[in-house]
Amino acid sequence: MSSANDSSASDRTGGAPLLKVEGLRKSFFGVEVLKGVSFALEAGKALGVIGENGSGKSTTMNIINGLLPPSAGTMAIDGRPYAPANSKEAARAGIAFIHQELNLFENLSIAENLALQAFPKKLRWLPQIDKGQMRTRAAELLRRVDLDLSPDMLVNRLAPGERQLVEIAKALSGEARIIVFDEPTTSLTSREAERLFALVAQLKARGLGVIYISHILEDVLRLCDDVVTLRDGTMVDNRPAASVTTGHLIESMLGRPIAELFPPRSAAGPRRDVALDVRGLTQPGIVHDLTFRVLRGEIVGLAGLMGSGRSETARILFGLDPALSGTVAVNDTVIAERSPRACMAAGMAFLTEDRRGDGLLLPEGVLTNVELARLADLRANAVAPIPQAMLDRNASEAARSVRIKAHDLVRQPVLSLSGGNQQKVVLAKWLLREPAVFILDEPTRGIDVGAKAEIYGLVRQLAERGTGVLVISSEVEELLGICDRVLTMAHGEIVAGFTWPALDRAAILRAAMQRQEGAA
Amino acid sequence: MWRFLRRLLTSEYLVLLLTALYVLCLWPFAPEIVSAQTALEVIMAMLPLLLLAIGQTFVLIVAGIDLSITSTMAFSSVVAAALMTGDGGYLAGSPLAVPVALVAFLLIGLAVGYANGLCVVRFGMPSFMVTLVAQTFLSGAAIWFTSLHSTSVSIGDLPAAFSVIGRGGVAGIPYALLLCLVVAFAAHWLLSRTTLGRWLYAVGNNPRAATVSGVPTGRVIIIAFVLAGLCAALASIVYTSRLETGTPVLGQRVLLDVIGAAVIGGVSLFGGRGKISWVILGVLFLSVVDKGLQLLGLSQSIVFAVKGGVILLAAIIDALRSRILVRVAA
Amino acid sequence: MQTNSTRASLAVLRSAPALLFVAVVVLFAILAPRFLEVQNFANILTQSANVAIVAVGMTFVLLLAGVDLSVGAAMYVCAAVAGLYFKDLPAPAAMALMTAIGALFGAINALFIVGLGIAAFVVTLATLFVGRGLALHLSQTKMVFAGDPVLAFGQGGFLGISYAVWTMAAVLLIALWVQQWTPYGRYLYAIGADREGARKAGIPVRRVVFATYVLCGALAGLGGFVSFSQVAAASSGFGLQKEFPVIAAAVLGGTSLFGGRGGVLGSVFGAILIQTVQNGLVLLNANPYLYPLVISAIIFVAVPLDSQRTRILARLTRRQIRIEPGVEARRTTAT
Repeated sequence: MSSANDSSASDRTGGAPLLKVEGLRKSFFGVEVLKGVSFALEAGKALGVIGENGSGKSTTMNIINGLLPPSAGTMAIDGRPYAPANSKEAARAGIAFIHQELNLFENLSIAENLALQAFPKKLRWLPQIDKGQMRTRAAELLRRVDLDLSPDMLVNRLAPGERQLVEIAKALSGEARIIVFDEPTTSLTSREAERLFALVAQLKARGLGVIYISHILEDVLRLCDDVVTLRDGTMVDNRPAASVTTGHLIESMLGRPIAELFPPRSAAGPRRDVALDVRGLTQPGIVHDLTFRVLRGEIVGLAGLMGSGRSETARILFGLDPALSGTVAVNDTVIAERSPRACMAAGMAFLTEDRRGDGLLLPEGVLTNVELARLADLRANAVAPIPQAMLDRNASEAARSVRIKAHDLVRQPVLSLSGGNQQKVVLAKWLLREPAVFILDEPTRGIDVGAKAEIYGLVRQLAERGTGVLVISSEVEELLGICDRVLTMAHGEIVAGFTWPALDRAAILRAAMQRQEGAA
Repeated sequence: MWRFLRRLLTSEYLVLLLTALYVLCLWPFAPEIVSAQTALEVIMAMLPLLLLAIGQTFVLIVAGIDLSITSTMAFSSVVAAALMTGDGGYLAGSPLAVPVALVAFLLIGLAVGYANGLCVVRFGMPSFMVTLVAQTFLSGAAIWFTSLHSTSVSIGDLPAAFSVIGRGGVAGIPYALLLCLVVAFAAHWLLSRTTLGRWLYAVGNNPRAATVSGVPTGRVIIIAFVLAGLCAALASIVYTSRLETGTPVLGQRVLLDVIGAAVIGGVSLFGGRGKISWVILGVLFLSVVDKGLQLLGLSQSIVFAVKGGVILLAAIIDALRSRILVRVAA
Repeated sequence: MQTNSTRASLAVLRSAPALLFVAVVVLFAILAPRFLEVQNFANILTQSANVAIVAVGMTFVLLLAGVDLSVGAAMYVCAAVAGLYFKDLPAPAAMALMTAIGALFGAINALFIVGLGIAAFVVTLATLFVGRGLALHLSQTKMVFAGDPVLAFGQGGFLGISYAVWTMAAVLLIALWVQQWTPYGRYLYAIGADREGARKAGIPVRRVVFATYVLCGALAGLGGFVSFSQVAAASSGFGLQKEFPVIAAAVLGGTSLFGGRGGVLGSVFGAILIQTVQNGLVLLNANPYLYPLVISAIIFVAVPLDSQRTRILARLTRRQIRIEPGVEARRTTAT
């Protein structure tokens, strides 16, 4: 880092902030997603940015990073106007973005990854890489992030935490002055997370500015000096971290008392019969001795950090991935064969966390998508004619019941629907089967607040009709709002369980951050 | 202007238009292109090509490709011929010769298709590579097998009961045409009205989503390749009986026509899209192109080159079409 | 993160080609005594030169997760043009000419693949037919004879090593240097691993891909030259289905069809392996019709090995959720 930038903000009397954004607006196809966002970042400070999915967080960051032009508003670095045309210009202006999905090439070495944008050459006319210089420079960068590895090591041998440090080293090599972290701890162990926090403190001490985006509010309050909250495209809060609690932050994010977002709990409560019975489910390296139950009409939540094994559990339950031992039973019948078809036949439904990747046939219409899971049961064999009219009727009914907003259920491709409506299509697909057990993995990810409330209502309805529901979510507020019970998972095991009304947010998160016994 | 072009490109009748355009362009140079005789010849030439294209369509719909159909034809041709031939064949002179040979055709098509599908599913190998290997293997096997049974490059002297399939008919309708109609209808019905059909489209569209939704994805892919193999066998029966010889170089040049016909008809190389009616139009177009070039008296080599150009054109149209559809949806 | 057992299986899979080679050599040495003669090995090297050279070009294309099915047709086009219209050129000029024509062929491929974004295998399948058709038309399907200077190249040598082998060695060394020591070579691996990421990282992806298909075409022309000089006359089947042993050589040598893995050294080795098998079969007086069958069978073993490696690697890069006691799961870091 050049020493010129080592001066902290307090030394610059009356100086401009490191980064200032003012009145940012952005519209897509006439829909305004950013309605005037302003904030400032001082050198040597960390600014936390929080907000729900659909709050405008990603759009704001994309604008800062040069990936999108704003429809209105200005930005300035050190008081000078800043309007990047693309991400390369943003990088040149000193902004480095550490994405959640790291941009490293696994088949290249650390040194090559660090040097990729400008390989050092020994001779001007010969396009030969000066490997010695490349290695030296890489070693120096690695030292700056406290990573003690050989620069020649291939990236595919590194752990996620180590890869992230390489990514940060890459940012530093570009003489970055502002580093933006986007959900950085999702793939890290607690030890790696601590190392990251120490590094952030170091970066601050060296005079860089840090923007820290995370939904783990505790981390945000710990690391950041100020916190900006976005909601529905506007900045609703901007306060020093010392003056708020996580509770305040949650309320600003949601915009209404939490209670209003979630449907009232039913007076009856869950029934007595067991819908889903899991015993001793184990797959080495993934999950260990999972044993739990979901009663009919009960909504059980599965909390935990990313990488704790929750989605993997869901996939194993649904037969998509293998399990070494253990049993899964629906309505007292053990599912013998480990396949989605067998699980579906037993009455299971599974809404995956990646609806575009494995939930929808994007170019096809709503009806085709909704009908997909029902096809296997219609006729005894696959070459008998489908009762199309009846199927269409049932599918339309299902689509109506979840209130999908699409102007043509047959011809309009699902690709063109909003995130919330797309999720409803997947829901309708499974509802058509009237499942006994419904597993939902991150059901409200990437969906605006209005659609979220609708989905919570649908889940509550499901439970009232007698379905046993298992909800996996990274947003603890969500689980607190709709679940009758919450189980916490960490490193592939269930480490804690809580029953309403004793759902303790702090305790749930504490359990989630537990380390594995005897682990590194 | 762009909107018109866009509508045109995504229209189902694009191929029909291209065919008409082509005929019109060639008319001054080869007036016999517009005659009943030509039409008849085109239809008869179309039939085995259509069988192959229908089989290929199943594979294309699941986003694969089968490059081995022509050598499957060749191999089944020589094996069946070796069974039937009056010149020292295994079942020479026996009344069972023709039925058994027909079964042999179908079994070989089935086995090759199954093997292809299995490798794609079990080993995760790209379909172009699997079928490329299969093609080399089978054409080598066909030549080797022929050398075992005949001093010449083919196996002739096939029983009349067999050759009548390619040449004869009932009530004035050639057997080959009947076969095609039955297969086309069955394929159309399979794709549009059955669960298997929906599954094929789903797998081609998004195999992960299909698996999660309970579709037996692996089995569906294998079935697609098996159907392609069976269609290749049927096409081989027609070709072999017309030539009255089993030959290891059967249909060597036809691979390109098949893929070109399917793609130009509208079946997408990216999977998840395609109808039998489109395939029929595509095969019609290619057969007309072929006929026209023949009537113009161009050499085989030029015809070869032109067909390569046609497939390129088809691929361009396909790519443009996909891009338009994505943009329209967004 | 790699456990010891997966590292072991990966190592086995990676050295499978070498193991295969040793097995093949041992087998043929036992069955046919003449196999082990020095002259025989010299023959093998000379005969494998043309496939090896083309395989080098194909390797670069495969590293990008692309493919070029038209190399065989490119070879024929170059031979036809050179033999028909430039018969009396001295060997170096003829070599340069054929390489240049090949480069032009590759550029046409590149135009459709990069410019219009059409899948590589469709484009090169089409140019395969267009090229061969045009060349057949030029040659009127008759034999095309190589000029005397070219013939002399095919028969001559330097220091007891044939010119063909010298050419192959030179191509290999230069390609190896490009692959390991130039930014272009590193870009190939990056693009093969993550094309979108490479674009975001500022790598000029379109230019690199374009240049690679041109290079592949050029090397196809060069390989065609070597082959032409050896067979002395190009029939209508010259280069026919040549793409097959070329791709096979690359895959056998460890280059993945999925991109991002492999290298030219392995591909040359793969070409020599294939030729060794063919040579052995000839010495055994095996039925010549069996050659394509044997080669296909070998490829058939190599390709699934490649897929297996890809699968294992994919599994390794997944997040590690828990560490099983007793399994050395983590490479310890100094911190």
